[in-house]
Amino acid sequence: MPSSSLLLRVWVSIGIQSFGGGIATLALIRRAVVDNNHWLTEAEFTRDWALCQIAPGINLIALAILIGKRLGGAKGIAVALLGLLLPSVAITVLLTAAYSRVQHTDAVRAALRGVVPATVGLGLATAINLARPILEESRRLGNPSLLTSVVLTIAAGLAVVVWAQPVILVLCVSGVLCGFAQLKLIGSKQSTGSQSL
Amino acid sequence: MKPVVYLLILLRASLFSTGGFGNVPILHSDFIDRGWAVDSQFAESLAIGQISPGPNGLWVISLGYLTAGLLGAGLAFVAICIPPLLVITVDRVYDRIKGRPEVDGFVTGLSLAVIGIFVAFLFGLLKGAGLSPFTITITLLSIALGMSKKVPVAVVLATAACAGIAIR
Repeated sequence: MPSSSLLLRVWVSIGIQSFGGGIATLALIRRAVVDNNHWLTEAEFTRDWALCQIAPGINLIALAILIGKRLGGAKGIAVALLGLLLPSVAITVLLTAAYSRVQHTDAVRAALRGVVPATVGLGLATAINLARPILEESRRLGNPSLLTSVVLTIAAGLAVVVWAQPVILVLCVSGVLCGFAQLKLIGSKQSTGSQSL
Repeated sequence: MKPVVYLLILLRASLFSTGGFGNVPILHSDFIDRGWAVDSQFAESLAIGQISPGPNGLWVISLGYLTAGLLGAGLAFVAICIPPLLVITVDRVYDRIKGRPEVDGFVTGLSLAVIGIFVAFLFGLLKGAGLSPFTITITLLSIALGMSKKVPVAVVLATAACAGIAIR
C-alpha cells in the first residue's frame, strides 16, 4: 500500500492540473493510478468508473472515494477527497468571489449575454455525449427499445419543466418504468431464444 | 435561511442525482421556490464551474457562494462529499446483483430522465437570456465546439464573453 504522503501528493497534483472539467480530471486520475503507479489494472479502473455512474452525487468524487479506499482504507478516502478537491474548491470560490465583485458592471453584463448561451450550448453537448451510448445500446436492442428511450427522455423533461412534477418523483418513475421494460424485453428475448432451440 | 435546511436541501439534491449536472434540476426547483436564488445565478455558477479545475459538479460550490457567501460554499462542499460515499455500498451490492435486467433497466431509465430534465432546464435558461439570432448562434457554435472536445471549455466561454461585449 502506498504511503499517505505519496497519495496526497498524487491527488493534489491531479486537483491542481484538472483545468478543463470532468473529462480532463478523469484522464488525469487514470494516468496517475493505472499508467504511472500501477495501483489498479485497466480493467479494475473501468469497473470502478462504471460503479460510480450508479452511485449518487458527482461521479468523480465517488471514483476518488473508491480508489482512495482500495489504496488506503478510511485514511485513503480522506486523503483522496482533500487532495482532489481542496485546490479546485479554493479556486472555484476565488473565481466566484472575483465575479461577484464585478457582476454589476456593464462590461460583465454584456459578457454574460454571450456566456449564458455558450453555457447552454456546452451543456447540450454534454447531454448529447451522455445520451449517445445509452441510445446506441437501445437501438441495438431494437426499435421499440429506442423509441421507449427517446419518449422517456422527452417525457421526463416535459414532466418537470412544463407540468411541474417533482424531479425526484420523475427520476424514480423513469427508472422503474425502464427496469420493467428491460425485464420484459430480455424476458421475451430469452423465451424466443428457447423456442428456437 | 437556516444553514441546516440549506445543507439538507443540497444533500438531498446530491443524493438523488448522479453526475456533475444531475443535481441541476432538483436544486433549480428547490432554490427558486424558496427564493434563495434567481435564474441568472444558475447560469453564472454553471459557467464558473466549467472554468474552474476539477469535476464540473463543483458548480454547486459557486452557487453556494453566490447565494450564501463563504458559509454557502462550505455547506455545498460538505453536501457534495457525503452522498458519493455510498459508492462503497454500491460496490458491495453490485457484486451480488450485477447483470440482472431490471437493475440495468432502472439505471438506464434514471440516466435518460436526468438527461431529459437537464436539456429542458437548459432551454429554459436560454429562453430567460432572450432568444435572438445572436444567442442562438452562440448556442449552436458552443454545441459544436463542446462535441468536438478539441477546444478547452474556458476558451469557448471567454470567446463568447468577448462576443457579448463586442455586440454591445
